[in-house]
Amino acid sequence: MNFSGLHGSLRIRLLAGTLFWIATSILVAGWGLGSLFRQHVATQFHTELTSHLDQLTAQFTLDEQGRPQLALPLSDPRLSRPYSGCYWQIDLVSDIGGSDSVIAGQLRSRSLWDHVLVAPSGMLADGEIHQHRILGPEGKMLGMVERSVRIDDTPDGKPRTFRLIAAADENFMLEPIARFSGNLWLALGLLATGLILAALVQVFVGLAPLRTLRTALGKVRSGETQRLEGVFPGEVTPLIDEFNTVLAQNAEVVERARTHAGNLAHALKTPLSVLANAATSGKDADHSELARLVVDQVAIAQRQVDYHLARAQVAATSRVPGVKTPLQPVVEGLARVMRRIHAERQLELIVHPFPESLSFRGEAQDLQEMLGNLLDNACKWAKRNIELNACSNGTTLTVTIDDDGSGLAVEKRDAVILRGIRADEQVAGSGLGLAIVDDLARLYGGQLELVDSPLGGLRVVLTLPASQ
Amino acid sequence: MRILIVEDEPTLRAQLAEGIGAAGYAVDVAENGTDAHYMGDTEPYDAVILDLGLPQMDGITVLRKWRTAGRSMPVLILTARDGWHEKVAGIDAGADDYLTKPFHMEELLARLRALIRRAGGHASSEIVCGPLTLDTRNSRATVAGQALTLTSHEYRVLAYLMHHRDEVVSRSDLVEHIYAQDFDRDSNTVEVFIARLRKKLPPGLIETVRGLGYRLTAQQ
Repeated sequence: MNFSGLHGSLRIRLLAGTLFWIATSILVAGWGLGSLFRQHVATQFHTELTSHLDQLTAQFTLDEQGRPQLALPLSDPRLSRPYSGCYWQIDLVSDIGGSDSVIAGQLRSRSLWDHVLVAPSGMLADGEIHQHRILGPEGKMLGMVERSVRIDDTPDGKPRTFRLIAAADENFMLEPIARFSGNLWLALGLLATGLILAALVQVFVGLAPLRTLRTALGKVRSGETQRLEGVFPGEVTPLIDEFNTVLAQNAEVVERARTHAGNLAHALKTPLSVLANAATSGKDADHSELARLVVDQVAIAQRQVDYHLARAQVAATSRVPGVKTPLQPVVEGLARVMRRIHAERQLELIVHPFPESLSFRGEAQDLQEMLGNLLDNACKWAKRNIELNACSNGTTLTVTIDDDGSGLAVEKRDAVILRGIRADEQVAGSGLGLAIVDDLARLYGGQLELVDSPLGGLRVVLTLPASQ
Repeated sequence: MRILIVEDEPTLRAQLAEGIGAAGYAVDVAENGTDAHYMGDTEPYDAVILDLGLPQMDGITVLRKWRTAGRSMPVLILTARDGWHEKVAGIDAGADDYLTKPFHMEELLARLRALIRRAGGHASSEIVCGPLTLDTRNSRATVAGQALTLTSHEYRVLAYLMHHRDEVVSRSDLVEHIYAQDFDRDSNTVEVFIARLRKKLPPGLIETVRGLGYRLTAQQ
């Protein structure tokens, strides 16, 4: 038996246990009932033989010549029908010189016809009944009982000893036993089959909620639902409730963390704006070393805030399963923003039609952050045209953004993506956005790829997990 | 050109008012959402700079209320919140542009000029009317390439007329767009500015439409 399978599957555990007990019970029941029946039939067989023997003893007398005879014929009609299987016989036992000599078949039942039963020799005490198995007519085995009767009151005055034998075909006993055994094992076989089927159904039905649970979990994971849904038995419900609570708490914690990060950024950026403006414009503006220092440090502080805010968002992301974000509204919203904030440049942003059903398995904010950064980047670098395409193969969502800008040299592409890892080396306004997109995409098990665009500029290919 | 600045942080508000005022605009300020909503609803601003995190009523709500009430002045959102979902929410609420803090005053001014220009239906940063050219990027007016020397109020009057080229602009319109709210307004001063401008410009460029106002036009 595969024990790892036994530990690994509830179904196999339950089935193995049940099948073992069914098999054991059936075997014990079969054996027990069989032996009880055998015992009963054997007892009955011998009781009947003994009854024949008693009758024979009762009817046994001697005639005037001292030959054995029956006062009345025995009642069982089988004793009169040749080779019927029921027999009796009276042997004369002579005591000659201390050893017994037997004259077998002094008187026999009609059923024996011309056959003489040969009983094993041996002295019997008076009244004692012996049981034997002997060969009978037509080679059949007979069960036999014998008893010796000594008659002192003989016509010639010499006491004689007779051996009275009642015998019957063993098949009278074996046939019902065989028939019973056949029926018994057939019935037990049917019972076992029924029990096994019942056990299978029980395990199948009993474990069905676990299958439902697995399906529900799958839906949460694929983003179809945000909590475990469905009707579950009372034993599983507490587990489901706990799980749903954990899911809700997770989502809440992420939302809270984001709000805090946003508030922190807000709280920091306004004073940074004040500082930067004070140093560069207005009546307080001067071009001293201090002003330059303030401007530089504000720029560094701003990058640090941006970087860590983005990292915080990445860290807070994708821990919450069960979120599904349709692509179309996000792309449409971002396209509206791009057309507004880059309105001066009169760009052509073309979103090629894609199926409405395309969905991302993750947070809407993360998708907006990734696509927003990519589109903004493309708009910044494009001469005039930006094109967005999206498709899905069921498990992966691919968004491609092309621009007709000056492109990016192959050797610089990795650096642009990786630079976010060391934000302190950033140059103002350079590609932190792509690094954050890459971080977010990786966290979701996707990736960001930069290649040449057929439009002449850069093509970014963003692959993300799709939601069904 | 009259601008409303909505910002709750006093120092930044003052810096914005100073920087934008120095660029030749009349400036009003509001420090909370309720005031901002009232001012934007009742005064004819040429553009609004709007912070989102405001006391009493948040910026998005203020903006939505304006748009619902049919107020169509260009609005630039200036906020520290730089998530793309916030930008989408801002633009969808009716904003025309979005700038995140910290920002450079030059960039803010450039975007502001572009917004006002586009709202007047001008695609280029230079507005031309006959020999007269107004470069909104550096607030310079030239006649046949020669720079004009203008006071800030003269510039505001000329800029407003240029943005509404070939339209009749009433005197009260001019007053409302060249003065800030708390300024002691006197519509007679408009005539003084017009008179001074006429002296500096080629003759016939500013017409008086009797009973209605003024029109700047190159068509004679």
